[in-house]
Amino acid sequence: MSASGLAVGVQETVAPPRRRASPMIYFLLAIAALLVVSLVRVLTGAGNLTSSGTVAAALTAAVPIALAGLAGLWSERAGVINIGLEGMMVLGTFGAGLFGWQWGPWAGVLAGVVLGAFGGLIHAIATVTFGVDHIISGVAITLAAPGLTLFLAKLYFTDAPGGGQKQSPPIEDVPHVTIPGLSSVLGDIEQQQWFFVSDLAGLLRGLTTDVSLLTLLAVVLFFATAYVLWRTAFGLRLRSCGEAPHAAESLGVNVYKYKYAAITMSGALAGLGGAILAVASSQFRDGQTGGRGYIGLASMIFGNWRPGGVAAGAGLFGYTDAMQLRGEGAVHALLLLLGIALLVLAVVQLRAKRYVVAGVATVIGVLFILWFALTDQVPPELVSAAPYVVTLLVLSLAAQRLRVPKWIGRTHRRGEGG
Amino acid sequence: MNVAVRTGTVHALVGENGAGKSTLMKILYGMQRPDEGTISIDGTQADLSTPADAIAVGIGMVHQHFMLADNLTVLENVVLGDEPRGGGGIDFKAARAKIRDISARYGLGVEPDRLVDELGVGERQRVEILKVLFRGARILILDEPTAVLVPQEVDELFGNLRELKSEGLTILFISHKLDEVLSVADDITVMRRGTTVASVSPGDVTARQLAELMVGSALPVPELRESTVTDTPVLEVDGLTVTAPDGRTVLEEMSFTINAGEVLGIAGVEGNGQAELVEALMGIRPLQAGRIALQGKDITKLSTRKRRDAGVGYIPEDRHRQGVLLEATLWENRILGHQTRAPSVRGLLLNRAGARADTQRIVDEYDVRTPNIDVLAGSLSGGNQQKLIVGREMSGNPVLLIASHPTRGVDVGAQAAIWEQIRKARAEHLAVLLISADLDELIGMSDSLAVILRGRLVASYDPKAVTPEELGSAMTGAGEGT
Repeated sequence: MSASGLAVGVQETVAPPRRRASPMIYFLLAIAALLVVSLVRVLTGAGNLTSSGTVAAALTAAVPIALAGLAGLWSERAGVINIGLEGMMVLGTFGAGLFGWQWGPWAGVLAGVVLGAFGGLIHAIATVTFGVDHIISGVAITLAAPGLTLFLAKLYFTDAPGGGQKQSPPIEDVPHVTIPGLSSVLGDIEQQQWFFVSDLAGLLRGLTTDVSLLTLLAVVLFFATAYVLWRTAFGLRLRSCGEAPHAAESLGVNVYKYKYAAITMSGALAGLGGAILAVASSQFRDGQTGGRGYIGLASMIFGNWRPGGVAAGAGLFGYTDAMQLRGEGAVHALLLLLGIALLVLAVVQLRAKRYVVAGVATVIGVLFILWFALTDQVPPELVSAAPYVVTLLVLSLAAQRLRVPKWIGRTHRRGEGG
Repeated sequence: MNVAVRTGTVHALVGENGAGKSTLMKILYGMQRPDEGTISIDGTQADLSTPADAIAVGIGMVHQHFMLADNLTVLENVVLGDEPRGGGGIDFKAARAKIRDISARYGLGVEPDRLVDELGVGERQRVEILKVLFRGARILILDEPTAVLVPQEVDELFGNLRELKSEGLTILFISHKLDEVLSVADDITVMRRGTTVASVSPGDVTARQLAELMVGSALPVPELRESTVTDTPVLEVDGLTVTAPDGRTVLEEMSFTINAGEVLGIAGVEGNGQAELVEALMGIRPLQAGRIALQGKDITKLSTRKRRDAGVGYIPEDRHRQGVLLEATLWENRILGHQTRAPSVRGLLLNRAGARADTQRIVDEYDVRTPNIDVLAGSLSGGNQQKLIVGREMSGNPVLLIASHPTRGVDVGAQAAIWEQIRKARAEHLAVLLISADLDELIGMSDSLAVILRGRLVASYDPKAVTPEELGSAMTGAGEGT
């Protein structure tokens, strides 16, 4: 303390004022991004880059990742690394499978949430009460959950109608909603193939047509999280546990209680993500999560432990995942898009005087554009890897100054503060 | 232990390390329960069992190590745990207004929306004070508030404290920096070994008198009595040259002799080769050239262990890095450096009983204050750790003692004890090499003095005739020695 304290004391205390990006900036950025995408669509002729079908598929694919990221956010803001997200998601998929085929999708979702919260509770007991290393506990949960669910799946699903050793009988979907009228108008505009206007229409149509209620639930949870964590006393106390638990404790905050609440909430959200994944694909399957918990965790880290960042990362993954499903042609157009995106990032990083990152982004961006220009299609083996590669590449190069919760990953013992 | 604090004053609580200041403070803030006795505030008896109780009766504490979350804003840090509610969330507007108001009233200059991470140490401390005031505290406890501040910040803090006092708040100021206490306090209570020994007002005492009250006896003065210097050379160093791994010469052609019963003091600005000299003598650092002889025997090629076995005791400069294992018990620490010699070993095995018995002897003889010899070294105060090291190094009949900053970071009592041990060693005809940054210690404890500058011994002085000023200028290369 004294050494760092002295160093700080010697440096002058004038810090540059923090720039706070206003919502307007983000809005303009979104417009600019859409402009680039429509430009690429016109250049490549890959019409489904912005079709409403792609957007809707992207949304569906993004939701489980987004919820995993949000789950990680809750836990890590309270100072506990949750690498067990993947396992908690698996529990969620199983809960949805087991209850969903018998009592309907909403019961399935609820069961997924409860099972996920149970996984979170185990993580909380291990890390908070017993001081187990967060990574070890999380990995244990991630390893144990698929084994447990596979065992239970064999037990319950093998003889069920439409079920099997590794999958549940089909689950009904929840209702979908469409804003009436708007959808068909936007559909007409989308058909015109006008530059930008049709793209915007496609985007809006995708977001307003045939949207699952579960997707809306996820959106609500994002806003609720932002409000609870940043605007309420509960949230402030929870975040203080991840930053300076001793300080919180000296002010009468029950650190254990808030950590338990955060991690259990984290498990519940991850479970919800898994349940939505199962409901959207109409059944539970073994290995269904496919690393989405980790991608969610990554989008949370590169999203700077903020809900907006998580949503952006998850959206990116969902979009590339949707493109991948559209086939190789779309992925080929994606190469150009990615190249341009990386060059834009390079300029942004250059302005932030981060030359190495800018250089790396430039080189990779140019390579992608060359790849696009010199080939006609992407090897099919690479197509399914595209969402993972694109998400991690863009997120890691776009990351600005990341601010990790200060006490993350460390054990806090009650009454230890000096 | 009794102390009475008047409303609207700055009351200083002074005492040596381990005098019980921190314990008292923890009791006042409800972090620890008293076994006996009562605390009354404005005549009403208060029962403080948690910090929340203390806050409720208007006691606030500013911790020495700031209790702030860097990634949160000043506002968030201040309101945490006591958030003004409104409309389902925190009422940020009210909180901001209240913080601005308190800040303006007491001249704290705290801006609610800045991130704590961006603030300097002085500003963080003002945030801590504001945090306490925000909760309506009328009594502030400041635990060694100046320890982390540079002098200008200390002046600012004292300005703030006077402001608070003029608004009728009561401040309990815990410190052991006596000149600061004298400049800011209205009343001073002196503690020693858990009780109050005196209550004085700053106009009536000098810093020296206050220090003597703290220690309970006259302040120790570094001085040697009659000369014990013989003409038997113990350590002879000839043409010692050491280069650093990067090829830089850190010690050049160094030659000196220490006789039995002589203390040679080495003065120098830190980083002029003192550490390298000690390491070269101990065999930790390889020599480029030169010869070291102990009692006429060449030890240049010997390993550190062989040198120690030949009778070299070593009090290292950084006791946590080299002197003790903080996570080991006292008797295990006793074995370190003596792991090949009785009474620590018998044959190939450690002799636990022997080591423990000898540790007990050191604890008794050297007045190491510890509950028993099975506690971890880390739980002892710096002075007691140092006394244990001195005791260990004086065991096994050494002929040479290398003492590198032996009294650095220890309290006055331990300082006096260590000086006494060095005097005793000298009287028993040990040769002592004393390296220190404390010029009074060097002048008082040495039979002869040499100044080291850029890896060379540039001057030597008679300690009876030299002043600290003369030494100081020689150390910077400004003066000429004889």
